[in-house]
Amino acid sequence: MLRREGIAALVRRLDNEPVIANLGPATFDLYASGDRDANLYTWGAMGLVSSIALGVAIAAPDRKVFVTDGDGSLLMNLGSLATIARQAPPNLVHIVWDNQMWFETGGQPTHTSTGTDLGGIARAAGIPNVARAATVEAFEEALDQAIREPGPWFIHVDIEETGEPRQRPKVVVEENLVKFRRTFTG
Amino acid sequence: MHWSDVVIESLREHEVWHATYVPDAINWQVLAKLEADPAFTVVPAAREEEAIGIAAGVYAGGGRAAMFMQSSGFGNTINGLAQLLTAYRIPVPLFIGMRGGLGEFNEVQVPSARPIPAILDELHIQHYAPEREDEVQKYVDGAIELAYASRMPVAVLWYAQLVGAKRATS
Repeated sequence: MLRREGIAALVRRLDNEPVIANLGPATFDLYASGDRDANLYTWGAMGLVSSIALGVAIAAPDRKVFVTDGDGSLLMNLGSLATIARQAPPNLVHIVWDNQMWFETGGQPTHTSTGTDLGGIARAAGIPNVARAATVEAFEEALDQAIREPGPWFIHVDIEETGEPRQRPKVVVEENLVKFRRTFTG
Repeated sequence: MHWSDVVIESLREHEVWHATYVPDAINWQVLAKLEADPAFTVVPAAREEEAIGIAAGVYAGGGRAAMFMQSSGFGNTINGLAQLLTAYRIPVPLFIGMRGGLGEFNEVQVPSARPIPAILDELHIQHYAPEREDEVQKYVDGAIELAYASRMPVAVLWYAQLVGAKRATS
């Protein structure tokens, strides 16, 4: 399956729930699915997107919080899985699009290409709910369960890259942050 | 009032109800009391940059979080300070327990602590260092107020002049 198919399936299920997107293709594809105030796009601070989402989930316990991460980025911040497990926010859904490569820098294979299992690491870190999907149908099933049932959830999704050209979103990061925050503070 | 209680009162007054940290002995004097106070949510992280990310997320989600660390872990935060807090204009009061100065016994603490003020300057992050207990309120209140007014991180550095030097144990 493709990342954008997964993002489309996610966005279809949302009302005002926040989505925090990893730098690079996750941010591009989330923006392309239709901009919304509750989308927080990241452009750097590689690895931190799950930490940001943990903070949002703790600050806004009444809202389900979704984060779309990548394999290369999560490999940079594996400690975040242990921190999430320790805090155990029931409203956090951590989705990882695993394309087994650092796509933005030229497609160099990441450690997941040689067998590192991010879901296994999440489970061992103490995340209670871990699912894996390689098709849109399996992803939707896992996502629906994660929306219905308390988390934290970790959904590991095997995706393919098509290399199709992407439009760079026109986002001013400071404006994005102010709009995103207003969805919580009114 | 002990300087740690002054910090807690200032956080309360500014409605900073969340704190993230990687522990150090200096900031622990504040953090132990915060953890015991049900008004505050305190989140330990595995690494300093993660604690920056979590604090940024708390602010993005409508709250306010302070971040606590030791000078030895400051280097781990730089990408988060630059590409997240500074780029997005996310205010986070940073409290840094400074090793590597007066009375330091561990030589490797010295080169990681000494450049911190210069690095903060280059990042356009303002920083302040109270040296006496009777200055703490003015500095901490002022730094927290400044952070939210300027929508930028602001750092308070705890040097041995205020908190004393850690003694070698063996």
